[in-house]
Amino acid sequence: MNSLVINISRRCPLFLAFLLVCTGITAAAEDGSRIDTTPLSTRKQAITYLEKQADLPPSNFWPNVNPVIFIQNLRNNLEDPLSIHEGKSTNFCAYAALSYIPLHDDPLGFITFMLKIYKEGKAIYGKEYFEPSKEVKLAAGTLTFKGELDIRPADQLWFMLLADHFKGYLNFFDKQYNPGDENRLWASVNFAKYNRMVRKLFNYKVTAVGSDLFKPGIRDMYEYLADKLSTGTVTLFVNNVNLYKRNQTRLRFGVPTHFVILLAVEEVDNKIAITYWDYGGRTRMLITERFFKKILFGISHATKKTANAR
Amino acid sequence: MHGKAFYTIPVLALLLLASCTSSKIFSTDYYNKHEKTLTEIEQSYKKLYEQNRFSVGFTDRSFNDISLEIFTDSIKYIHEFSINEPRFLDTLKKFDLPVQGVVDLISKMKSIHCIWINNLDYYSNNQKRSLVFLSIRKLAFHLPFLNEKYYILTFYSQPQYFDEEGRLLSTRRQRKLRKINDDIFHRINDKVCYTVSERFR
Repeated sequence: MNSLVINISRRCPLFLAFLLVCTGITAAAEDGSRIDTTPLSTRKQAITYLEKQADLPPSNFWPNVNPVIFIQNLRNNLEDPLSIHEGKSTNFCAYAALSYIPLHDDPLGFITFMLKIYKEGKAIYGKEYFEPSKEVKLAAGTLTFKGELDIRPADQLWFMLLADHFKGYLNFFDKQYNPGDENRLWASVNFAKYNRMVRKLFNYKVTAVGSDLFKPGIRDMYEYLADKLSTGTVTLFVNNVNLYKRNQTRLRFGVPTHFVILLAVEEVDNKIAITYWDYGGRTRMLITERFFKKILFGISHATKKTANAR
Repeated sequence: MHGKAFYTIPVLALLLLASCTSSKIFSTDYYNKHEKTLTEIEQSYKKLYEQNRFSVGFTDRSFNDISLEIFTDSIKYIHEFSINEPRFLDTLKKFDLPVQGVVDLISKMKSIHCIWINNLDYYSNNQKRSLVFLSIRKLAFHLPFLNEKYYILTFYSQPQYFDEEGRLLSTRRQRKLRKINDDIFHRINDKVCYTVSERFR
C-alpha cells in the first residue's frame, strides 16, 4: 500500500499534498473529540475533595454565607443529590433542575467550582467565566421564607450566580439583582436559555423539542419519552399551575413556568405514570396523555459527549 | 331599552361592590362563623398527618374531584379521584391512611367550602417549624377573565408576633414581615392568620 502511494505521489505531487491535508484534518478531528468530551467524576472523588476543605475560612466575597453551613450544604447535595431545593415561590426551578446533571455525573467538577468561587469570588465553569455582581454576593445566604432554601446557603449562592450570569429575553427588563428579585423576572428562565446553560456549563449535547409558547407535536408521548430516557437526561418544561392545580379559574391561558427532571415513565391502564424530580424530591403522578400534552411545552434531552460518540 | 339599563347598571354596580368587599371582614366573619368546624378540621388533619403524611383538596368548583398527595420517605404520590370512586378508598387503604378519618375530613372541608389542606414546613431562626395551611374559595359573584381569589388560613402551634397593623412578623426581635408563599398574613388570633391569594396552595 505504502509503495503504491509513493509511486503515485512521485508521478503526481498534487495527490501527495491532498493526502497530507486529509491526514491533518483527521488528526485534528481525533484530537478535538478527545478534548470535547463531557467531564465525568464520581461522588466518592467529590466527597474526598470536600473533606479536605474542613477548615474553610469565611469568604470576604460572600459575607452572608457561613463556611460551616456552606460545606454542610455541599455535602448534603453530594450525599442526597435529589434534595437540592429551589425554594418556595422563587423562579429558581430551572437552576435547581439543571443541577441534577453535575450532581449525578460530575460532582467533583461542581464542588471544585463552588469552592473556588467561594474562596476567590470568581471562577470558570465549563465554557463560562463567572464574576457575580456585588448585589448577588451580598444577598446570597440572606434569602428567607423560601422553605428548605432558607437553610441552604450554598444553593442560594449557586442559583443566584446562575441567574446573575445567564440572560434570556425574559430577563431583558430586570437584569440587575434587587432584593426580592429571586421571585421575579430577574430569575426566570426561558426554554432556550435552559438548553444553553446545560450546553455551556456541562458540555452536554442537548437536543430539544418545543418552545416557550408552542407545544411539541409528539404523537406517542410515552414512546418518545421512554426512548429519550434510555439515552440521556430528560428535562420537561411544563405549566406549573396545571401540574399542581393551584387555582380553579376556568379560563387558563397556559404558559410553561416550571422545569422538572423526568426520572421514569410507564404506561398504566391507558394512562402515563411519570416520576419526576422537583422541589427537593421525587413525585409520581398518573395522568392521561391528553392532559400531559396540555401541560407540556418543551422536552430537553441532554446526552454525554464521549470520545466515541457519533 | 332605557328601563332595562335603569335596572342593569345598579345591579352590575352592586355585584362589583360585592366582589370588592373587604377581605378582612370576610375572613374574620368566615372564621367566626365556622370556627368550630375549622378547628375540628385542623385537629383531625394534624392527628391523621401524624399517622401518615398527606395533603388533600378539591380540584373542581363543584367539590366532586379530589387531589390526594401521599408522602413516603422516598417519593410523593399524587392521585386524582372522583369523590365516590372506589379507587379512592382503595388507595387510602393501600397507604395505611385511616379511611373513615380521611372521609370525615373531606366531608367537613366540603361543608365549609374549604378546598385545600396541607402541612407546610417553614424556618424560624434556622429551626424547622410547621403550620396547617387551609384554603377557602369564596362563592360570591366572580367576574370572568379575572383571577379568582382564595382566602387562606394558617394555623400555628405557637402564638405568633404581629406588628401594630396586625401583620404577621418573622420573630419578636426582627420587625420583618413573615411571608408564606410570598403573601403577607394578618392576625385573626394569636395562632391563626389569614390572607387573600390568587393561588390556593
